[in-house]
Amino acid sequence: MEQLTEEERKRIIESPPVGTFALMSVVLGGMVVAWLFLYYGVFLPRG
Amino acid sequence: MNNAAEQKLVLSHLWVAFIAFVVACLLGEYQVLERSGLFPALDSTRVYFASVSTHGVLMAFVLTTFFIMGFGYYVAVSSLKQPLWNLPLAWASFWIALVGTVLAAIPLLTGNASVLYTFYPPIVAHAAFYIGATLLVVGSWLWCAIMLVTFGQWKKAHPGAPVPLAMFATAANALLWLWTSAGVAVEVLFQLIPLSLGWIDTIDPGLARTLFAWTLHPIVYFWLIPTYIAFYVFVPKQAGGYLFSDEMARAAFIVLVVFALPIGFHHLYMDPEQGQGWKLLHGIGTFVVALPTLVTGFTVIASLEIAGRLRGGKGLFGWILTLPWTNPMVLAVILSLLMLIFGGFGGIVNASYAMNAMVHNTAWVPGHFHLIFGGTTIIMYIAIAYYLWPLLVGKPLFSKNLALMQLWTWFIGMSILTTPWHVLGLLGQPRRISTVVYNNLLTLAWQPYEFMMILGGLVLLGSACLLIYILAKTQLAPAAETFAEEVEYATPIHAVSTLPEYLNGFKLWNKVIAVLMAISFGFPILQFFFMDTFGSSAWGY
Repeated sequence: MEQLTEEERKRIIESPPVGTFALMSVVLGGMVVAWLFLYYGVFLPRG
Repeated sequence: MNNAAEQKLVLSHLWVAFIAFVVACLLGEYQVLERSGLFPALDSTRVYFASVSTHGVLMAFVLTTFFIMGFGYYVAVSSLKQPLWNLPLAWASFWIALVGTVLAAIPLLTGNASVLYTFYPPIVAHAAFYIGATLLVVGSWLWCAIMLVTFGQWKKAHPGAPVPLAMFATAANALLWLWTSAGVAVEVLFQLIPLSLGWIDTIDPGLARTLFAWTLHPIVYFWLIPTYIAFYVFVPKQAGGYLFSDEMARAAFIVLVVFALPIGFHHLYMDPEQGQGWKLLHGIGTFVVALPTLVTGFTVIASLEIAGRLRGGKGLFGWILTLPWTNPMVLAVILSLLMLIFGGFGGIVNASYAMNAMVHNTAWVPGHFHLIFGGTTIIMYIAIAYYLWPLLVGKPLFSKNLALMQLWTWFIGMSILTTPWHVLGLLGQPRRISTVVYNNLLTLAWQPYEFMMILGGLVLLGSACLLIYILAKTQLAPAAETFAEEVEYATPIHAVSTLPEYLNGFKLWNKVIAVLMAISFGFPILQFFFMDTFGSSAWGY
């Protein structure tokens, strides 16, 4: 683990969680794609 | 928590929970073996449904209720830093619930209560089963009273101060459970017990299923809230960071409690006794309750991101690699969130009004709830146990490496078990069947998936036994004089010194729940008293 200065710690803590936004976007996007696949690829073809 | 009497109370609850858990895992493995149809010597519809009913009751009612009660007592004492209000009442609650469990177990194990954990009238069980289940719920109601009185007393003694987040969420769960259990309590007291005792000749299954739907969805959140509590109050600290937002956590718990309740009809999409409009209303509410789970996912991942970056993580996703994966709590939350993503997707499919028809009575549904309950929820119960056990017994955890192996095997086993289960549902395998007979091309295609489920169940059973071994070895180890660790609750980035009352209490939300329940369940229940319905005779026992 790196030794951080107090300024670096403060910057990290107060920075927006961009990685979280990116990860959540990927997950939610994946869910939408999977739902659409199931709806149009499996559900509707079964009539 | 240094009080030996309170430690004993908590440990007693948790041991009952985990013993029920390991027995249920053993039954679960028998069930996948029997249902596969690959072992003719095991074929027995009677034993299978007795086993399924016992497995469901042990997992859904006994493990959860005792774990939640024990964990709640721990949170109340440790977060509020005060003795538990009314310890004798807490023990009375424990013994009432335990006697109820034993009473219900007798007809379950003798095949006289094969009604599954969801009861399903007009199938009827021996009265001892319903009376035992009622005692278990009565015990949990006493727990609710203890939690809410403790919550109120602390607030009175600390006017204006924010209730610690862990206790706020625990009190929210107590309130949720009182509302949740009311539906099944009415069903059991006024329909099932009189029917099972022969006081009435027939039962209205539509009314019974409506009352059970009142309970059936929010009970999932009753089970899930301890998991979310661990997400918010233990994980950030264990990861080496801070809680992203205390206020967002409180808002998530409030929305969870308020909107978990008036949405149960998505379990009745295929039932004839409720109208399409009511089902649609509940269906929309089901999507609303996904919101607090999204907020929770965001807050917890953001807290982990802060921790990962403080540990030297760089870039958009580099912080994931620098997280302390060898900390059982951190590993468990990562695995839990992974299972929540896939289980949550399955839940969205279930809640989709039209598409539900494709999966409703198929193996997809048990696959889904095993992934959410057995996966997302239970892995955090296990992580909480690994965290609390050393604090409760005053000795270090027997083996951190074994604990990590146990968590990984639980995750792997659950993935191997539930993935083919979902696929089987899409292939058309019905749920609630005791045997598959491989006599045509359709069912032959199911065979490889059945093999995988047997393997997944075996891994899970081994993992459950390993959990018990680790907990027992920790408790039975020689006393460690130097062990002096204490529970550490996460601190938020921005400490909260004052909060508006709506984020620090439940008076307003209790009224909102009452209004929403009256809207969503008022007419759907009253209609049974306005129209002519024909009761069904009891059958089964």
